[in-house]
Amino acid sequence: MIKALVLTGDGINCEQETAFALYQAGSDAVIMHVNDLIAAPTRLKDFQILALPGGFSFGDEVSSGKILALKLRHSLGDMLYNYIDSDNLVIGVCNGFQALVKLGILPKSQLRAQQVTLTHNRQKRFINRWVHLKVKQDNLFCKGLEQFPLPIRHGEGRLMVPAGQETAFAADMAPHIALAYQEDVNGSFLQIAGLVNEKGNVFGLMPHPEAFIRWTQHPAWTSMDEAEKAAMTPGQQIFNNMVQALRN
Amino acid sequence: MPPLELADASPQKSFQQAQQVYRVDVLPMSLGVAEKRTVPGLGELYSHPVYWLQGADLKPDWINRIAKELLIDPILQTYSVSNVQSPVFPKLPQAPMIDYWVFERQFLPGVTDNLGKTVERNISLLFPNETLPDIKVASGEVFWSLGTSLPSTELAQVVEYQLYNPLIQKMTIFPASEAGNQPARYHFPNVGSVEQVQVETISLELSDEALLQLSKSRCLALTLEEMKVIQTYFQRDDVKAKRQGQGLPQWPTDVELEIIAQTWSEHCKHKIFAAKIEYTDASDPDFPITRVYDGLFKTFIAGATKRVQEKRPDLLSVFKDNAGVVKWNDTYAVCFKVETHNSPSALEPYGGALTGIVGVNRDILGTGLGAKPLFNTDVFCFAHPDEPHADRPTMLPAEAILQGVRKGVEDGGNKSGIPTVNGALVFDPRYRAKPLVFCGTGGLLPLKVDERLGYEKYTEVGDTIVMAGGRVGKDGIHGATFSSEALHEDSPVSAVQIGDPITQKRMMDFMMEARDLGLISGVTDNGAGGLSSSVGEMAELTNGATIHVEKVPLKYPGLAPYEVVISESQERMTFSTSNMHALEQLAKKYDVELTSIGEFHDQGAFNIVYHGKLIASLDLDFLHNGLPQMNLKAHWTHAKSKPIRAEVPDHIDEIFLKMMESPNLCSREALIRQYDHEVQGRSVIKPLMGPDQTAPCDAAVLQPILGEPEGLVISNGICPQYGDWDTYNMAACAVDEAVRNAIAVGADPKSIALLDNFCWPDPLPSPRNPDAEFKLAQLVRANMALYDLAVNYGTPLISGKDSMKNDFDDGVFRLSIPPTLLVSAIGKIPDISKAISMEFKRPGDTIFLVGRTNLHMGASEYYRALGWYSQYAPYVHVAMTRRLYPALYQCMQQGWVRSCHDLSEGGLGVALAESVLGGRYGASINLHDIIDDSPELRWDEALFSETPGRFLVSVAPENAEAFSDAFRSRYLPVMKLGQVTEDPTMTVRNVTNEAILLQIESARLRAAWQKAPARCYSQEGEQ
Repeated sequence: MIKALVLTGDGINCEQETAFALYQAGSDAVIMHVNDLIAAPTRLKDFQILALPGGFSFGDEVSSGKILALKLRHSLGDMLYNYIDSDNLVIGVCNGFQALVKLGILPKSQLRAQQVTLTHNRQKRFINRWVHLKVKQDNLFCKGLEQFPLPIRHGEGRLMVPAGQETAFAADMAPHIALAYQEDVNGSFLQIAGLVNEKGNVFGLMPHPEAFIRWTQHPAWTSMDEAEKAAMTPGQQIFNNMVQALRN
Repeated sequence: MPPLELADASPQKSFQQAQQVYRVDVLPMSLGVAEKRTVPGLGELYSHPVYWLQGADLKPDWINRIAKELLIDPILQTYSVSNVQSPVFPKLPQAPMIDYWVFERQFLPGVTDNLGKTVERNISLLFPNETLPDIKVASGEVFWSLGTSLPSTELAQVVEYQLYNPLIQKMTIFPASEAGNQPARYHFPNVGSVEQVQVETISLELSDEALLQLSKSRCLALTLEEMKVIQTYFQRDDVKAKRQGQGLPQWPTDVELEIIAQTWSEHCKHKIFAAKIEYTDASDPDFPITRVYDGLFKTFIAGATKRVQEKRPDLLSVFKDNAGVVKWNDTYAVCFKVETHNSPSALEPYGGALTGIVGVNRDILGTGLGAKPLFNTDVFCFAHPDEPHADRPTMLPAEAILQGVRKGVEDGGNKSGIPTVNGALVFDPRYRAKPLVFCGTGGLLPLKVDERLGYEKYTEVGDTIVMAGGRVGKDGIHGATFSSEALHEDSPVSAVQIGDPITQKRMMDFMMEARDLGLISGVTDNGAGGLSSSVGEMAELTNGATIHVEKVPLKYPGLAPYEVVISESQERMTFSTSNMHALEQLAKKYDVELTSIGEFHDQGAFNIVYHGKLIASLDLDFLHNGLPQMNLKAHWTHAKSKPIRAEVPDHIDEIFLKMMESPNLCSREALIRQYDHEVQGRSVIKPLMGPDQTAPCDAAVLQPILGEPEGLVISNGICPQYGDWDTYNMAACAVDEAVRNAIAVGADPKSIALLDNFCWPDPLPSPRNPDAEFKLAQLVRANMALYDLAVNYGTPLISGKDSMKNDFDDGVFRLSIPPTLLVSAIGKIPDISKAISMEFKRPGDTIFLVGRTNLHMGASEYYRALGWYSQYAPYVHVAMTRRLYPALYQCMQQGWVRSCHDLSEGGLGVALAESVLGGRYGASINLHDIIDDSPELRWDEALFSETPGRFLVSVAPENAEAFSDAFRSRYLPVMKLGQVTEDPTMTVRNVTNEAILLQIESARLRAAWQKAPARCYSQEGEQ
């Protein structure tokens, strides 16, 4: 059975629904406190999936995902980078995505240094609403999906690149843009909503796939007919794709 | 711009032992990515974060590394490190070459600084192989004003409450050209040294006048009668003898007096709700009727629950714990509590609202053996910033209150990982001085933890008293009674608390595991009164407890024992455990600080020991039952004015659009979007639903247990505007609104349980409060209605709260809030797929009005918009509505109801507009049947009457007949009004002919409805 590790602790708060989505996808999902993992880092090897769920690790103090990234880098270090170099899958949602970016794992894992950032929305406030997304670069996580809705729930989801290097980054990043917003929701560079690394096994995204794993989570579900609700939800599809890819 | 670092050439060696302060300015790489905000009067301001790091023997290398790796975002920011020996004033990149003003904000000593603390605790991550000396960190903000013509003397006043709150922060203002001469730039906010703390004995051998003076000067808030009860107690021979034997002085120590005052406070003992009240109803002055009620709580609130209890076997724990507990299924129970945090929010809105939320979360954590919070619900009552209102020097600007509370809720709810699922916002100028901030939380409890019941407590003699979470400072000591003038530069700020959601989140995670491992035998939260209340209350479980006060971990030294015991520092829970060792091991994993501070026993007393010496021993019976019952008088008269009404106005569409954009009716979307309402993945009916996420739903529905069909419904009812007519009507309407909202989304009427939250103007007589007896009568009448409705609906009251002093009085100006009752409801829907949202869904669907419309125009939005007056405030015909709701529920269970929206403020007109605006279609209705049913209504009144107990329902045409039969066969009122139309326009037609009375396209409606000034709900940049 595919085993998935869902990290929690220090203010992470979407661990239960993330584990539930992975469980529904057919994996054996274990929620583990980040301090338990640090106490015995080799345990990471028992899992083929690592999920960094959403939340407010360290209260988003200094900047979102920053201190969690430092903690993981300094306490897991190479263990984490080697994990990514093998054929495991990593998903970071919202705060988990912010941590992956600040760890330097996204967009390019090989660099091991922060390349872009996720910072305060252009509106300078937290936003919770459902947005329309479009898959740009084909990737195993979004297999079978083209355009779909998911909720965003973040204050710091605006992807920014170093000032003056926009053109270079636009070209360089293209193969990494897994997911884009169909409209400009937070000022994000190229409307980027999610990134995938060069190997295609690490996926980070600001929208919450684990918040759309049953139709009754959609804001317009009360208007949908039965046929529409019979299909798999896009959020669940992403977790199913991960488990499926590992089985193949 | 390259980072500006400090070279490792430290000054003279002799300085090295002293505490050094380094300063790190975190600067934007370019002006384009700089934080920017606009302050009225100052124009545009740029800002950047600043940190002060203090320690002995600090190496500049360390500081440089901390700046580079921890404090900046390398993509957007750079930094500058300096100290007072080598001061540096970093210029903003690309800043214009003009002189400008600089504002530097720093927290006052002792104020919770979450950012500073987070940095402080995580510096060690960067130095895994080195042992660094202790480094203290404080955070602040630097603002740069690039263009103002204001004279320097006015700057401080302009930025007060805009950029800082003097209660918790200080602001240093200087022109950039004088930056070199600002030693304050290197000041670290240390808590000043304090004299050795002593325990005092307070003699009560005093005259009446002196007793009252003592109560006042020590902020005890006790009446003369209460002071005399304490005086008499300590004069009793048996008490004297016992105290002598214990080595205690005859008169109480300050610790004892403070504990008694806390325990006997209105907040903890609900003295007004326990009072014996002689109530006179003189609405007919010739035949006044007088009755005596022995306690409003006992008579009306507990009384109602007692009446309905036998039909509600699901009630597991009511009124006795921190929250009411109701059985959910065979494995779980749900609990619910709503608190108020009004006074703190008036002083420091951000901290007040934030602690309100994390505080009520702790009520849930402290229920039974500890429940997991599932949702928050928040209700605010404010003065609208655009309305004219009084300003007094000690009153915060209305806008600052609104903004601060908004941000506090955002941080409190979002950072805790608890969704804010619904709420309400009420504007009235009388909330100008005392805003009302109601914070509610619901939670999930296992029915059983091993062999124990999850909703009971099992604290035993010999159990350890454990304090967990935050440390103790002077926060919240004596609440807000200290004026800011009494504080001097170095004194820790005691009047306000600021919450730390992440410390509490860690504790929450820890508690859930500790509970499931059976390590907790009892738990309660530390809120008002701090340890004196939490341990004092838990002591009743075993009949005694002892605290060793020196064991309590402190934020800073210098707290007197009485301060430690009554401090309201946040993020703390009190547990009892018989397995301290295992609990400590678990706490380490969660980074939760845990301290054994004493033990439970059965000696009948609450004891405090300080370094081995007994400094307080209070008989539990005296402490909890010694408070005398108050005797109060209430006097009700019914003043009636002459009705005012004119012909139907010519441009009623303009009037209607004005109503739609008014503060109490406009869309709340801008506010709702800032609160996470979906975290935990349980949402079913969200605050905004429909194809464009604009449909304002009447209540929230959640899936408490992932993957299971049952849904939890949460709703609120609040309508203070009707209280000016009669608080009986107001309270009845509030109950009905809460129940009605729950019914509207599909709740089973038999499952609903209620909470009551009273916020009242002071009903105790004083020279400055001449109409206290009337205010008390208003309270009595609200309670009567609460009882009548709860009993008729069969909806038990399971928990509640009262806040009885919502008056502002600075000796010149007095402002009292209108009597306000919030009723909150929880209920169950057996299958979430049957939940209903409010927007119209399909053209051709038949629109029905369920319920009867009467001439209820008093306080109506329509009459208020026109300046008209009616004697008749909305009234609940509960004998009918109690039968109506189950009938509607059955139709929903049949699947006949496509949309359902309750009618409240603005009546049918507003409900119809909202049902249109929530979807993409229009509606065409005719008022004929309504007026036929109630001929006293003119057509505009039929459209805007606010009679409670009504719903606007759309039904597929094929089910329309079955739907209306379901009501007609029971002789219940249902009226067919018209159809949902493809054309997105709202059309209302005449009674007899088909002439159009009112027609508005939804685009116009939407523009008005969403016009609400953005500044009410959001802010570019933040404080």
